[in-house]
Amino acid sequence: MTPLLSVRDLAVQFKTRKSTVRAVNGISFDLEAGETLGIVGESGCGKSVSALAMLGILPRAGRVTSGEVLFEDVDLLKLHDSQLRQIRGNDIAMIFQDPMTSLNPVLTVGRQITEALRKHLRMSKDDAHKEAVTLLERVGIPAAGDRIKDYPHQFSGGMRQRVMIAMAISCKPKILIADEPTTALDVTIQAQILEVLKQLVAEEKMALILITHDLGVVAGTCGRTNVMYAGRFVESAPTRKLFAKPRHPYTLGLLKSVPRLDAARKEKLEPIGGTPLSMTREIEGCAFAPRCIYATEESRTKTPELRRIDSDDHLVACWNPVQEEDMPHFEVVSARDEGVAG
Amino acid sequence: MSVAEAEVKELHLEQPSSLGRDALDRFLHNKAAMVGIVVMLVLVLIAIFAPLIAPYETGQQVGPLDNSSPEGPSSEHWMGLDELGRDQFSRVVFGARLSLLVGLVSVAFGLTFGLILGAVAGYFGSWVETLIMRAMDIMLSIPALLLAIGLVSLLGRGLVQIMIAVGITTIPIFARLLRGSILAQRESDYVLAARSLGVPGRRLLMVHIMPNALAPLIVQATLAMAVAIIDVAGLSFLGLGPSEPGLPEWGKMLADNASRLSQATHLVIFPGAAIVVSVLGLNLIGDGLRESIDPKLRS
Repeated sequence: MTPLLSVRDLAVQFKTRKSTVRAVNGISFDLEAGETLGIVGESGCGKSVSALAMLGILPRAGRVTSGEVLFEDVDLLKLHDSQLRQIRGNDIAMIFQDPMTSLNPVLTVGRQITEALRKHLRMSKDDAHKEAVTLLERVGIPAAGDRIKDYPHQFSGGMRQRVMIAMAISCKPKILIADEPTTALDVTIQAQILEVLKQLVAEEKMALILITHDLGVVAGTCGRTNVMYAGRFVESAPTRKLFAKPRHPYTLGLLKSVPRLDAARKEKLEPIGGTPLSMTREIEGCAFAPRCIYATEESRTKTPELRRIDSDDHLVACWNPVQEEDMPHFEVVSARDEGVAG
Repeated sequence: MSVAEAEVKELHLEQPSSLGRDALDRFLHNKAAMVGIVVMLVLVLIAIFAPLIAPYETGQQVGPLDNSSPEGPSSEHWMGLDELGRDQFSRVVFGARLSLLVGLVSVAFGLTFGLILGAVAGYFGSWVETLIMRAMDIMLSIPALLLAIGLVSLLGRGLVQIMIAVGITTIPIFARLLRGSILAQRESDYVLAARSLGVPGRRLLMVHIMPNALAPLIVQATLAMAVAIIDVAGLSFLGLGPSEPGLPEWGKMLADNASRLSQATHLVIFPGAAIVVSVLGLNLIGDGLRESIDPKLRS
């Protein structure tokens, strides 16, 4: 069976007057229907840009330089904008990072939710209105029937993100891309929003691509996790395996730099030294090599490709993967697994 | 009523007021702006009811022809008589109609074309934008009054032509303002979010971007109206005013009597004051609007 979404060697560049920024340097992944995929990486590694490129809504300076995005065997990158518009919002929808600015301040939330319903599903005004109220109720907005007439500024951040989710799922897309959906929110609200997302994705059997820099978020949400660095995937594995046995030094570094509840008090967090390379130059060898203690001569000259390691579902792009003895013991403990609040 | 219902009711009472209501509130509490509103209201009423307020027709000769020292203000003729023996008060009152008309029409003209050009430039970008904006720059590089003079000599000296000429000088201001405003909105998150839902380009511009980009133009339109009134008065003063004889245009009244300033001060002061008051009123409103719409200027 062909996957629902298959991204092949996608590369995106931003051209400015002085330089070219290579934001995404050839990423490939498959997404099955109903699968939840996490994409983690630090700011500026190309996570969001990849998502925007898939939907064809890159900022003006950005251009897809190679690759294909096959959605149900159709290459989205080759579609005309009017054809792509039929897919955006209808088959693939997106939730953005900042709910404070992602809603149009001069339109009521009802108007914004019904927009996609009326366009894609050709609903009548009344039907769309009813559906919008249902959607708001589903994302947990109290008194949805009244709130639908309100403007975005009358909602709190968390509520606005719920509205954004309602907008995104309005046409029951097959794929939902959530770009840092909880980053701009309080921790307690984050948990609520993630819960709403998880529930909806499960109910509607949507595939989810969750883009985040927060390992904790993917741990509890995603079946599979891809780690991104400097516009490439450096490791891809089922989330549980990735946390248990990180094989890429960058993944290991990320895990070590996050505080852990089960760690001994005196254990210090280990930051990853250095800063990411400037993405304006062509990178020779592994992009992480300058910051990597495992780097070999090979790392500095030859770019590693993703290859199988340990098992069929664990991929890593590294010439000298982390060995078992160097691995601290990590374990995913999520509320769902344990049946108690983690 | 259940507890939950009670809570909902309470929540509703605590709802913040709407964005527009907030701005309106700030505007209503701005004293200067209220003065401006009152001034303009009075002027508009005067313009509308001019035939009832003015005791005489504008062209009606009610006193002696007196070229050297026309009669000054008196209880019968509040603003005195002009050199042709016409009641100056009646002429100033009817002049309000002209000035407001000129302000409205020329700004409406400039706004219409400025909006179209600015929206096209801001939304489509690329060479269309370059072409439009450079043309606007060229127009802006010529002082407005000079440009108006040139256009009047090109179009002719009728009242309509003058309004169009002054309107044209305001086009680049509106176009630039709207383009900048659209550029800022175009890259905003909500536009990206709307695009991600498949909203098509024209709808994106008209429904999402334009309403957010228009606020600064409301302010500019008010201020431009003041400038238009001054410009038309200025054109008249320079002898390029409406060629229709006997038209009670404030600027023309000033120009006709400037040489008699020492003998008949009243013939210059009253039309002059009328111009100042109307322009001041519009400026006060414009500033008040700007302060209430733009949160950055809020104290």
